[in-house]
Amino acid sequence: MAIKIVLAGEGGQGVQIIANMLAESAYAEGKEAAYIPNFGVEQRGGVSIAFVQIDDKSIGSPKFPKADIVVALSNRAVERTRQYVDERTTFIYDTSLISAAEIAEEAMGIQAVEADPRSQRIPELTDSSKEKDQVKLPEKAANIIGIPANDIAKNELHPRVFNIIILGTLLKATAVVPLERIKEAIETKLGDKFEKNPALRELNYKALDKGMSLVERLV
Amino acid sequence: MNEKPVIGSRRVFMTGNEVCAWAALAAGADIMYGYPITPQTDIMQYWTRLAPKYGRKFLQTEDEISAGFATVGGVIAGKRAFSATTGPGNTLFQEPMSMAEMMRIPTVVLLPQRGGPSTATVIYSQQEVTMTTFGGNGEGFRVVYSTAGHQDLYDYTIKAFNTAWKYRFPTFVLGDGYQAKMREPLTIYDPAERGIEMVKTEPLVGLPGTPGVDRPVQHLRNTYNTEEELYDVVIEIARDYEKAAPEIIEWQEFDTEGEMDILILAHGVVSRAAQGALPLLKDAGIRAGHFRPITLRPMPEEQMRRAAAKARRILVVESAYGQLLKLVKEALYGMDKPIDTLLRPGAGVTAEEIVQLIQEGR
Repeated sequence: MAIKIVLAGEGGQGVQIIANMLAESAYAEGKEAAYIPNFGVEQRGGVSIAFVQIDDKSIGSPKFPKADIVVALSNRAVERTRQYVDERTTFIYDTSLISAAEIAEEAMGIQAVEADPRSQRIPELTDSSKEKDQVKLPEKAANIIGIPANDIAKNELHPRVFNIIILGTLLKATAVVPLERIKEAIETKLGDKFEKNPALRELNYKALDKGMSLVERLV
Repeated sequence: MNEKPVIGSRRVFMTGNEVCAWAALAAGADIMYGYPITPQTDIMQYWTRLAPKYGRKFLQTEDEISAGFATVGGVIAGKRAFSATTGPGNTLFQEPMSMAEMMRIPTVVLLPQRGGPSTATVIYSQQEVTMTTFGGNGEGFRVVYSTAGHQDLYDYTIKAFNTAWKYRFPTFVLGDGYQAKMREPLTIYDPAERGIEMVKTEPLVGLPGTPGVDRPVQHLRNTYNTEEELYDVVIEIARDYEKAAPEIIEWQEFDTEGEMDILILAHGVVSRAAQGALPLLKDAGIRAGHFRPITLRPMPEEQMRRAAAKARRILVVESAYGQLLKLVKEALYGMDKPIDTLLRPGAGVTAEEIVQLIQEGR
């Protein structure tokens, strides 16, 4: 089985870490895996994107035009990842960070979105309400799934395990690696911190479980 | 102090830049000279983290011209010295590298290509092919390996040191930003355990004995007084280069045994897209093959011609606007083969795009 995943969010949301964990645990599971971050000349303020491919056969091009799963974790990330969505893509977004436009798609028109100045804004200079600015979700996607991961992290767990909830969601959606491998990858990454504070391990595991409970297997 | 950086062999999952640092360590490189530029900087960073553990050295210079000349200096002092740069940095490297060509200095430079012209992107391209194969004021007396992934980066970084020191030509490992930043699995190994013997290095100046008495005078020159004098030297380098070329050339062929409707020519990471396109084309009833030159300089011309002779058409695919195409046209000169192109300067190519182009062309 071949699977292509694009993860996108704001810097600090931890998308690169979970992309790397996913690829690394797939590799540990004996699959072919490749992970590449996007990187540009900007030092800050850009959308952070990660490309992950997991396959039984060897992997071709590091980047790809369309993804099986796109995860977008901010308004700008929705805009930036639109190009990777086609009629076979499952599009997952965070409903607590992104609010989908309710205007009829026909009334809004495609140009209105493409020329949307929100995608040009520097986040530091905009007020916090920008997170709730409405954004139009991709039209073509096979599935669109909204999950309130950020709210769950903030209210039920801890804001810092937001990305681990997303990782749990991806794990369940793809079933591409066993939970145990992901736990090993988390242990490799955060083992030192767990030594000092074992409660953190439980917190991360809870976040994984929570993320897994938010979706069904999709691919 | 640890002796060997890599013992035996082991499977790892790392970035291409990290692979380069490990390969240089495993090859016994003594010193890296460098100046930071994305996406190369991580090679320096990994090297500076790892090298001191194995008694190896690093010098950051004030710019790329200096990094190139310092590498030349390190080699003249007898050290297995290397550098890494890309893009505009590669442009600045051409001056010291043409000196290395003239004086037969076995430098090794790793090049994860970024976009061009000028600053362009820091991400990816195959736009440094012309510059790396024939840059500087010279005749392209260099060896250029084009890698397609992490195993290649490891294998050819090690090999580059041996090719350089055996044949005494500046040698380049031409990767790209995708390979630099991507994580994928590969096997790293101790070259000795694979039967790879590292060519011994030696100082090119300050040799023992009295010059002219105990040994010939060692006179490294890049300046000549007369046309005739220069001509003789350049012709001698050209002869050495042509003699070495058949031993240096490397290539890979995929499904080229029989008659082909189309032969896809691609190098580096784009070769992976070409390899991926073959089964898809086969399913569509198209007989396609793929020829991948691993050395872009010297080019495996005869082998490419032999493969091309079996195909009705040629398709050149690259992430540049005709740099591989130029080399292909030179290699296939005189052959009556229509050449199609998929030229994507500074942008990646996928198997599906290659298949689509070929199907549209039918």
